[in-house]
Amino acid sequence: MKRLVSLWLNGRHREDAVSDNLLLLDYVRETAGLTGTKCGCDGGECGACTVLIDGEPRLACLTLAAACEGKRVETIEGQAAGGKLSPLQQSFHENLGTQCGYCTPGMIMASEALLRRNPRPSEADIREALSGNLCRCTGYVKIIESVKAACES
Amino acid sequence: MNEIASCASHGEGIPAPTHAAGRRQPLIDGIEKVTGRARYTTDLPATQALTGAILSSPHAHAEIVSIDVSRARALPGVRAVITGEDCDVPFGILPIARNEYPLARGKVLYWGEAVAAVAAEDEQTARAALDLIEVEYRTLPVYISAAEARAPGAVLLHANKPGNVEREVNNTFGDVDAGIAAADLVREESFHYAEVAHAQIEPDCTLAEFDPESGRLTVQSVSQVPYYVHLTISECLKMDPADVRVIKPFIGGGFGHRTETLPFEITAALLARAARGTVKLQLSRAETFTIHRARPETDIRLKIGMKKSGEITAVDAEVVQRGGASAGYGIITILYAGALLHTLYRMPAVRYRGFRVYTNTPPCGPMRGHGGVDMRHAFESLMDMMAETFGLDAFAVRRANLFVAPYQSVNELKVSTCELAACLDWVEQASGWRSRKGKLPRGRGLGVACSHFISGAAKPVHWTGEPHATVNLRLDFDGSITLLTGAADIGQGSSTLLAQIAAEVLGLELARFRVIAGDSALTPKDNGSYSSRVSLMVGNAALAAAEDLKRQLVAAAAKRLEVGVEDIECLGEAYRVIGTDRMVSYRDVVKSALEVTGPLTTRGTYTVPLDMQGGKYRGAGVGPSPAYSYAASVVEVSVDEDTGQIKVEKLWVAQDCGVAINPLAVEGQVQGSVWMGMGQALCEETEFVNGRPLRGNLLDYRVPTIVESPPIEVKIVASYEPNGPLGAKEASESSLGSIPPALAAAVAEAIGVRLPGLPLSPDRVLAALHARRREERLKSALAGAR
Amino acid sequence: MTRLCEFSLRHPETIEEAARLLAAEPEVRVIAGGTALLTNLRLGLGKPASLVSLEHIPGLDKIEVSAQEVRFGAGVTLARLATVPAVRASLPALAQAALTVAGPSHRSAATLGGNLCLDTRCVYYNQNEVWRRSNGYCLKHGGEVCHVAPQGKRCHAAYSGDLAPLLLVLQAEITVTGTGGVRRMPLGQLYHDDGAQHLTLARGELVTEVSVPLPAPGMQLAYRKARVRDAIDFPLAGVAMGLRMDAGRVAELHLALTGTNSQPVLLTGTAELRGAAADAALAERVGKLVQRQASPQRTTVTTSNYRRQVATALARRLVLELAAAGAGQSRGTA
Ligand SMILES: Cc1cc2nc3c(=O)[nH]c(=O)nc-3n(C[C@H](O)[C@H](O)[C@H](O)COP(=O)(O)OP(=O)(O)OC[C@H]3O[C@@H](n4cnc5c(N)ncnc54)[C@H](O)[C@@H]3O)c2cc1C
Ligand code: SF4
Ligand code: FES
Ligand code: FES
Repeated sequence: MKRLVSLWLNGRHREDAVSDNLLLLDYVRETAGLTGTKCGCDGGECGACTVLIDGEPRLACLTLAAACEGKRVETIEGQAAGGKLSPLQQSFHENLGTQCGYCTPGMIMASEALLRRNPRPSEADIREALSGNLCRCTGYVKIIESVKAACES
Repeated sequence: MNEIASCASHGEGIPAPTHAAGRRQPLIDGIEKVTGRARYTTDLPATQALTGAILSSPHAHAEIVSIDVSRARALPGVRAVITGEDCDVPFGILPIARNEYPLARGKVLYWGEAVAAVAAEDEQTARAALDLIEVEYRTLPVYISAAEARAPGAVLLHANKPGNVEREVNNTFGDVDAGIAAADLVREESFHYAEVAHAQIEPDCTLAEFDPESGRLTVQSVSQVPYYVHLTISECLKMDPADVRVIKPFIGGGFGHRTETLPFEITAALLARAARGTVKLQLSRAETFTIHRARPETDIRLKIGMKKSGEITAVDAEVVQRGGASAGYGIITILYAGALLHTLYRMPAVRYRGFRVYTNTPPCGPMRGHGGVDMRHAFESLMDMMAETFGLDAFAVRRANLFVAPYQSVNELKVSTCELAACLDWVEQASGWRSRKGKLPRGRGLGVACSHFISGAAKPVHWTGEPHATVNLRLDFDGSITLLTGAADIGQGSSTLLAQIAAEVLGLELARFRVIAGDSALTPKDNGSYSSRVSLMVGNAALAAAEDLKRQLVAAAAKRLEVGVEDIECLGEAYRVIGTDRMVSYRDVVKSALEVTGPLTTRGTYTVPLDMQGGKYRGAGVGPSPAYSYAASVVEVSVDEDTGQIKVEKLWVAQDCGVAINPLAVEGQVQGSVWMGMGQALCEETEFVNGRPLRGNLLDYRVPTIVESPPIEVKIVASYEPNGPLGAKEASESSLGSIPPALAAAVAEAIGVRLPGLPLSPDRVLAALHARRREERLKSALAGAR
Repeated sequence: MTRLCEFSLRHPETIEEAARLLAAEPEVRVIAGGTALLTNLRLGLGKPASLVSLEHIPGLDKIEVSAQEVRFGAGVTLARLATVPAVRASLPALAQAALTVAGPSHRSAATLGGNLCLDTRCVYYNQNEVWRRSNGYCLKHGGEVCHVAPQGKRCHAAYSGDLAPLLLVLQAEITVTGTGGVRRMPLGQLYHDDGAQHLTLARGELVTEVSVPLPAPGMQLAYRKARVRDAIDFPLAGVAMGLRMDAGRVAELHLALTGTNSQPVLLTGTAELRGAAADAALAERVGKLVQRQASPQRTTVTTSNYRRQVATALARRLVLELAAAGAGQSRGTA
């Protein structure tokens, strides 16, 4: 079954006909063409697909697009609004919080959710907030440093 | 000397050359990564692409009696269906061991092996078509362990390999028996290592475009070795390589998973040609696990002879690796396990027997620390146990066996630089070893271990007589420089490093550079990103290309300023007559340089000097390298004796990687490398039941999360490698092997038991603790009875 | 593109309508947060014709704290449950247990109802269609035999939700609404000890509310979870305990397990521990109870033996920990 879904994607309003069984991940990547959100597993295991829905971190691979009616969905592409990197993006870049970059959009979105809730997180808070996001390259050390540095900037 | 020479002082108004090397440089492609603009293979625009899908074998070992694809072909929306019939050229990275087909022919050798493939207009149709393919199998006995496959009478996976042994290695260097006889203590132990996987976060994917008009094929894929993909695809498709183009998009990690052409890459190309169009073949996480190519399940029997002083007199090792269903890099892996015994400590005599065995499991391959990691755990562990007998400290026994570089090992490997002693000193001091070791509360422990790795194999896999590496630099009217390299940046930052080297030579900011990496239509061939070859080999080529460009710019400046070239000094953004304030800007030098010739392209190459290419014995090609990198690590753990849970409190790593061209990147690489070693030590393992993988997902294949990942302190020790570009050598693999043994030693201190292998998962630790308690009870009962 | 079976997504606006939709066709499923259901559907476990979402039903996300109890709508997310100050103040152990579930991006969608109704898990079941087909499926889904216990007639898949054990210890009650009306029952009655059919819900029924009586003064509560990683890992064994001490003796002790059986189990035999002193012997007796009533089977990649041992060890340790905490507190208030 298809339905018309209207939502805000990175602040812009959209209306699309989507099938009920379409995952938000596929909606974002294929319907909307925003490929920054990544897929790293067969469902719920890696965090690479983390986006924000109404400000909360959510896994796009375990969310139905049709359930996002009226919601505000944010992806990595919406983070450099106004042509300027977000403090987290800047910090992940400068502090090598990204190596291959595949986990990075998810990491940044999960960190963004944290910082909006808690602008001065402790290291334990950061670890907790990113605990659903796997990275195979960095050993996480510079990811933690990147989030800390972003708070200080 | 670790710092790149700081610039000489210049007068007022005279620009100083930029030092792009030696500084903490963010990635040249980092902005793309943090903004989501970076396009990985799966992200490439492919609206017109057909969906590829693979029918895989439900059996781990079976003959294919028949395949009927007629119903699948007849399904509307299906554009191509192919089987083993469509490709009869075997492939494999080693010219001497090619026994894999993109789609099984005649037999399937592991569960999940591809049997047929379809290209269809959408995913649903593709899946439906797979269900319509009828395959009849006659099952054969399944051999999961090396022992089963080697048992007398076992069915041969490959007819030409009796006993299912792909390669047996028998190498003795020095007088082992005399060494053993001269030892004060000889001890032998056995170890077992579970198979692990790369688990790079990006699943496998290939996009293949066939243009029926020109007959040309463009393949974009997740490869670390675009050149080998190019070569293999043209061979398997029987195409002129000139009609194939391979492009490497952004790559989401490799760690060895992608260092050879993988079956799905060829299948995607076959499908595209058969469908006369574009095919996207996206693998799931589960399928990506089945492609595998990682560190094999390994059994090691190790004997060491040691003097009271801690000096090792002889080593006798036997290794059995469960290699999986096809050859791949297998021969190299089994050779490395032996060869890498020689170049970490002084080894007077080594006997090595290795068996690489074919089994009905996915093919193994190279993984970070190729061949050396499990052996390093066995070796360091046994060394610790023996040192204990002599009352020697873990540092003392290691120091007793250090060599001084330059050093030539008994198997003829030449080590030009080694700062392992400095590495040991630093981790000992930083971890507070002297004041803390042995005095920690119950349940806590410290362990130390060393490891090392090559900076590229001196002998490439395919010997062509060409240089080992080639880099082009292109300079055009706009003054920007494009560095063209076939070396694949897979996240390790090679593009950044190469640009830094070239920029350093030319004294320019990185902003003047662009790097194009891995597009066969534009970039010079490169063997790829494996065996840590890129920094040293491609780095040297980049250095040479930049020096050539600089010579041409200096010549142009000299002509313009009407002096001799020896009078010109390159200041990066300006060229001046030495000792004067007469100069000309970079932009003007570029104009002059291009005046006659037009746009400039320079070429730099690197070839490993012949005397570093190793000995003449069988297998001598594996081990030699222009440089070896060294690391020492201390691990601190605490262990919960009720649950068997290990908590890694902290890691200290000292790394000898020559000069760190990008200290930020070196730290990142070392942290990632030791962390990966930690994962193998703690909890990572694959598992098969009747050939079916039980852990083909990221819930059961447990990559550590950020919560249990410890702080990691990295020290880059002072070092200069004369064979490396600007003094550099590899930095991203050498440290991995030190972690599992250091962690195991720390656990041994914490709980008083040493486990004979990896991983130290909570169930294994608890079982060992229970066994110890039973033994203690038995002992005290016996003592009581007496 | 990810393959999910075709279904239509329904958004009823009342519980009654939801119940009607659920009863209307045989292949209908409730979807709450979807973090467990969609994972299973992606593996091909089930082909529902419709999914009934609870998202638009008002009131299912309520958290009401009164002097006697806390009432949670079944749709309360675990993220909220763990952070709402009223819950953290009155039921801190529950908030803490919620934080052990999966990761934060799961928890902002995952609901309490979904957690309680979580499907059982098994290494032969939580695999994709291709895998299970090649293994001849199994008793729980599409096949005839159980690969874990081939001689047996039942499924041993393990219930692995993290919240049920503590809620059992707290003597929580649930409200179940169906086409036939509303019933309220102790949480324990939601479950059967059968991995293939572990919920007692009838067709058309759904859990709408969970009421948790506030623990008696002096009751110490905690949940301990054994797992390999500290996040995104289901419990290999989870132990929840409530302990009230009186003058150094056990006055009340409740103990429940998850991850070890096909249902969360509130252990029997704890009443006999009343009057015992908080010593090694008590820990020993608690351990024995767990050892006897936990029945992990080979449904995870970690051995069943380990799961039993670790459940036992956690329970033994927990009873002493809680006794000490209780003693500390009563001294503090005295
Ligand atoms: C990677 C990963 C790790 C996980 N780790 C954990 C873990 O550590 N601990 C843990 O407990 N869980 C874990 N989960 C499972 C899951 O995320 C949680 O259990 C979650 O609380 C389920 O809630 P939900 O709202 O998402 O349920 P859903 O997925 O919406 O539903 C789950 C099941 O309950 C049924 N259901 C939902 N609501 C109701 C209702 N009100 N009445 C009747 N039936 C209902 C659904 O039909 C479905 O069968 C994990 C999941 C993933 C993907
Ligand atoms: S316990 Fe047996 S029946 Fe149940 S899911 Fe596992 S294999 Fe299937
Ligand atoms: S893609 Fe892995 S959690 Fe969503
Ligand atoms: S940077 Fe590669 S997975 Fe995190």
